[in-house]
Amino acid sequence: MSVLAHGIGAQHDLPLSPFYAFAGAFAALFVSFLALGLLWSASRFRGDRAGRPVPSALQRLADARPTRIALRALGLAAALYVTLQLLLGPDDPDRNPAAGAVYVLLWVGLVPASLLLGPVWRPINPLRTVHLLVCRALGRDPAAGRPLPAGLGLWPAAAGLLAFTWLELVAPDPASADALLVFLGGYAGVHLAGAARYGAGWFDRGDAFEVYSGLLARLSPLGRRPADRRLVFRSPFNGLDATPQAPGLVATVCVMLGSTAYDGFSDAPSWITTVQTSSLGRTTTATLGLLGAVALVAALYALCAGAVRLISGQLPHPLTAFAHSLVPIALGYLIAHYFTLFVTEGPRTVMVALGADDPAPPDPPLGPGGVATLQVAAIVLGHVLGVIAAHDRSVRLFPSGRAVAGQLPLLVLMITYTIGGLSLLIA
Amino acid sequence: MAAVTALTAAALVLGASACGGRATTHHKPGTSHEQAGGSVGRLLTADDGSGNRLRQVDAEGAPSVTVAVRPDSEDGWNVHLTVRNFRFTPDSVGGAALLGRGHARLFLDGHPLARVYGSWYHLPASLVRGAGKGGTELTARLYADDHTAWAVNSAPVQATTALSEATSAPEKSGAATPRPDTTLVEIVVSHGKVSPDPGRTEIKKGRTVELRVRSDRADHLHVHGYDKEAALPAGRTVTLTFTADRSGLFEVETHESDLLLTQLVVR
Repeated sequence: MSVLAHGIGAQHDLPLSPFYAFAGAFAALFVSFLALGLLWSASRFRGDRAGRPVPSALQRLADARPTRIALRALGLAAALYVTLQLLLGPDDPDRNPAAGAVYVLLWVGLVPASLLLGPVWRPINPLRTVHLLVCRALGRDPAAGRPLPAGLGLWPAAAGLLAFTWLELVAPDPASADALLVFLGGYAGVHLAGAARYGAGWFDRGDAFEVYSGLLARLSPLGRRPADRRLVFRSPFNGLDATPQAPGLVATVCVMLGSTAYDGFSDAPSWITTVQTSSLGRTTTATLGLLGAVALVAALYALCAGAVRLISGQLPHPLTAFAHSLVPIALGYLIAHYFTLFVTEGPRTVMVALGADDPAPPDPPLGPGGVATLQVAAIVLGHVLGVIAAHDRSVRLFPSGRAVAGQLPLLVLMITYTIGGLSLLIA
Repeated sequence: MAAVTALTAAALVLGASACGGRATTHHKPGTSHEQAGGSVGRLLTADDGSGNRLRQVDAEGAPSVTVAVRPDSEDGWNVHLTVRNFRFTPDSVGGAALLGRGHARLFLDGHPLARVYGSWYHLPASLVRGAGKGGTELTARLYADDHTAWAVNSAPVQATTALSEATSAPEKSGAATPRPDTTLVEIVVSHGKVSPDPGRTEIKKGRTVELRVRSDRADHLHVHGYDKEAALPAGRTVTLTFTADRSGLFEVETHESDLLLTQLVVR
């Protein structure tokens, strides 16, 4: 069995040529300073209250009980299928669709699905369905449970994300049936226990995939207005602006950024040499690398939050107040790193699931130049969205005289992340 | 299969002992060296592409040939012809055609290369370099003494093998790029250490990659993406050659020790 760098997939994107990277970095810098001078001086985003209601037929269809049941059944059937494949199928990722289903269709597929349709994992999540069915059988109210501790916030989700990315990027044999069974079994156990104690509300904040999908869905044009439960078309900026400032939000975003960054530099030959020759052993070294990447992203963010506090005086939560503006940057990283994997290994996984024996993945739809353009465009666009989101937040939070100065540290941080992301694609 | 081989061997031994000594010439007094002498089989109007007419015989008992090439340790290839119902008769070349006798000719991509009077031939790399690029083909065709080509069912008796890059000759160790269109990557694995350190090898799309790997432990070599594999016997240098016809970043790994050897950057 082989070590598979992405858990799955045999081909990586070419390293970016410096031309694309410089062009991207220049565009990011240019937009950043343009934003400082030209963008509005009074907050425009109305977060939760924004949006144009979708046609009522669409709303009725989305809210209909059969739709909900169908989605739950789909999630449960897929989970059952993956589990059975892991238990009974061949222990060879070339012939068993389970690894591809988890790492490509679920993990990477959640990105486009959430971007287009909103927080899709919530209605599909098979753990939620299992919890619901057990509660029905016991005659309990699924929502009933102790109140979640106030400080817990999204921390369980951040931990879950870190655990999953560890499995994908660090574990010795991430695509093997054993590794997946242990992880998925443990994950299901922890979260069903959490839901048994705290009720179904646990999944909203504790389930890594729901939180991940929910954060990315902030950028979806489709959202639900909390006040009247209406489905609305809204600007992604308003969706982003409405991101709840829960404890652990920064940690979750830092894990998203840090793990994707680690995925980038774990391809670099110099890091592979370090891992292969380290006296600590491979898994330990790679674990330290992943934790180091997340810690570096978090430390930079904390440094920036400290600077914001210094410049702007009193801010209640300078750390969490701007965390939402990092979501588009994380999304840019995700698209840049996983686009090719998704469009080649995704169809391949489906072919394996349909019974093809070790089919060749389809050719990527974009040539090397196209992929490079897409990668740079995704990272720069994420940067631009992040800068605009942060700008609007800072003109709302800071007194008008300090708004420009107050967002400077954040701007520097975003430029650091963006140029860091581009240099990871060169390496 | 074994029985057939044994029978063939027995027939060959019997045949050899029956004929014995050196082959007699079949020049009848006064016969000229004109082509297409003798009355064996049926002379077709078709020729072999270079002006020699085909001499058709019944499929049963007809001469047949297979050709194999293997890289030479120093230069080029060693070509081995295996013939059945056929003997090489250098002494009587030019005489009348006799069933099951004659010589072979080698063609490189259809161009005449050499006439051979035995089962072995050494093909120097210098002769191949001028030939077509990539999948050069070597053809061996059987001829009668009168230079007509043996044929069955209107097709000449011949065998073709690809003189592909995969069977090309390894150059001496330490040599730089062996051929202008080949990128040589040499890697040694010893005590779980890869030398030189894993790096990136830039390769222009379409070039030939020659991976030369030696491991101190028995292992498996795998080129991801291209899915090329080779067994690595302990302490032996193994050469894996392929054409880099897809762009991307591909990892070259060993499977037992799970080491990354190098990354191929094809663009």
